[in-house]
Amino acid sequence: MDELYLDNIDEFVNDHDKIVTYKWLSLTLGVHVNTAKQMLFHYLDHKRKESSAQLHATYLVSGKFVANGQTSHKVSVVREEQLEDVKAKMSLIVSVHVYSVQKALLKDSGPLYSVDYDAVKDNLKNCSKYSAIRCPTAVPMSSLELQQAREMHRAPSPEPENKKPAMNGNGNLASKPPTKPAKGIMGMFANKSTPKNQDSGREMKSEQKEDAPVVDAPKSKPATKANPMMNFFGSQPAKKPEKTVKEEEAAQSSSTAAEKQRQSPQAEQKRGAAAAEPQKNAKKDSRSKNKRIEDSDSEEEKMEKKKRRRIKLPEPDSSDEDVIPDSPPQMETREASPSPKKEAEAVTHSYQGNSDGKIRKRRQVLKSHTFVDEEGCIVTEKGYESESYSETEDDFQPTKQAPRDPFKAKLPSSSKDEEKKSQKKSSANANKGTKQASIMGFFQKK
Amino acid sequence: MTTLTRQDLNFGQVVADILCEFLEVAIHLILYVREVYPSGIFQKRKKYNVPVQMSCHPELNQYIQDTLHCVKPLIEKNDAEKVVVVIMDKEHHPVERFVFEISQPPLLSISSDTLLSHVEQLLRAFILKISVCDAVLNNNPPGCSFTVLVHTRDAATRNMEKVQVIKDFPWIVADEQEVHMQEPRLIPLKTMTSDIVKMQLYVEERTQKT
Repeated sequence: MDELYLDNIDEFVNDHDKIVTYKWLSLTLGVHVNTAKQMLFHYLDHKRKESSAQLHATYLVSGKFVANGQTSHKVSVVREEQLEDVKAKMSLIVSVHVYSVQKALLKDSGPLYSVDYDAVKDNLKNCSKYSAIRCPTAVPMSSLELQQAREMHRAPSPEPENKKPAMNGNGNLASKPPTKPAKGIMGMFANKSTPKNQDSGREMKSEQKEDAPVVDAPKSKPATKANPMMNFFGSQPAKKPEKTVKEEEAAQSSSTAAEKQRQSPQAEQKRGAAAAEPQKNAKKDSRSKNKRIEDSDSEEEKMEKKKRRRIKLPEPDSSDEDVIPDSPPQMETREASPSPKKEAEAVTHSYQGNSDGKIRKRRQVLKSHTFVDEEGCIVTEKGYESESYSETEDDFQPTKQAPRDPFKAKLPSSSKDEEKKSQKKSSANANKGTKQASIMGFFQKK
Repeated sequence: MTTLTRQDLNFGQVVADILCEFLEVAIHLILYVREVYPSGIFQKRKKYNVPVQMSCHPELNQYIQDTLHCVKPLIEKNDAEKVVVVIMDKEHHPVERFVFEISQPPLLSISSDTLLSHVEQLLRAFILKISVCDAVLNNNPPGCSFTVLVHTRDAATRNMEKVQVIKDFPWIVADEQEVHMQEPRLIPLKTMTSDIVKMQLYVEERTQKT
């Protein structure tokens, strides 16, 4: 490939002071993501040899990770200094590639997300044009299907309020518990005007603004082993959502990509997705989403490597609400020690069943308390608190959030809810405490 | 679409609200990026659909909010020419100045549906630029503090002194020591032009910081 791209990247990084992520580069230059990754790698190499300006890079590392005897697939964006460290901790490295190149040393991962936000938003309909993940059955819903999805989602939500006994009205609900989680997902998707897919291959296409480094095959560095991948699929792939702001909606995309890698170590071919599909069909209703990207920046070190993780086991009736209680690791003045994932696991699967078919669950929500301790210091403690919620939670939400202090942090968990029910302005009083309403809120005030 | 003009005070307030919200986020972000306060007090929150760092310290937040509350009437009337966030070293000499130059076109009008999302996009770009500004700036000495200065057009401050917008939060004329910076170096960061506001952000930093 010709060398013009080196000059292009040079211009972006040095003259414009941009953060160049592989995804942004691929959308800007119109090349496949793997080409973009290679470009970045070569550029970095080139510049390092010249030893000119100071450049920083972040890498995406993805692989198997064993913690407390449980294996999970972990995907993280790490700084260059931490790369070897993180690689050493993984039991199996599936992919390592350059995520971004920039001049500034980033203190946190926020800007990485912002960089891709606009680029992806502009290319929303074809943001996967250059991506390596394919799913032939994932097509955007037609508007008719969208309508139906919305109606189906709204129909069960008035039901629990009435508290009817399990009768005809709710017989339908009771008979389809497995579809409820699916509706939850669809409900989330239906509220956004982006291409949806309901299929098992919930691919990158569905995300509307999340860049997220998807696990792709490694570039020139071979880092895969063929045989262990079979074991990976033989056992239950336990997903571990890392808590970061970057949340991805591609279900099992990592395992999908890993499957592809097993079949085609070359960077080019990614058509192995089709073979992986039948396996994924079995897990269609199970939770899904997400694989989160762990952010190994200084936040993590401050928490003394105490990462809060939850292992997701594929269960037919497990819901995807687990996504919501996850919170990114917070910067803390004094960390309240939350009990680790076990408690969270137990909590999310505990049901307070009602006879009328409504499912209420308790979940752990990260809440912060600011108070003055005995020495007169202001202390902010963040800890998990149990909060009761139900699947159709927008009506219950306001009552839970009202007692919060006004300057408590607006939790990412609740902001995700807000996003989820963005069309339903009934959660308006949940917005009361903070001013996080989007700029469009100005128009509604009239 | 509707065309509202400056005489429509409601709209003027909307613009001032937007700008003040943005300035609040920007000030928090500047404090975070320039390490004026330890990063432990900051927490990731969401604004304009991207993550930003905001402080949790109640007094700091209150101070910033009060400051902007007083600046808002100036912006509404288009009296504020520049809002400057000055970072000062231990001897209260300015080390860095983040200057937000704001100007509003005399005839504000919204003529398109996508105006506000366009503005949101531009503000997002500002936020991104602030996050990476430490590529072009030298490090600050330890023990810095910050203050906010407002440069106004004409004599708008006389009115401010007469009427205390917030009780016990007086604004005073800044003295020469805080305004004048030795050997400043100008680094432009970002410019934006939109139908409702024109804003420019640049940094002046002292050539020798320690």
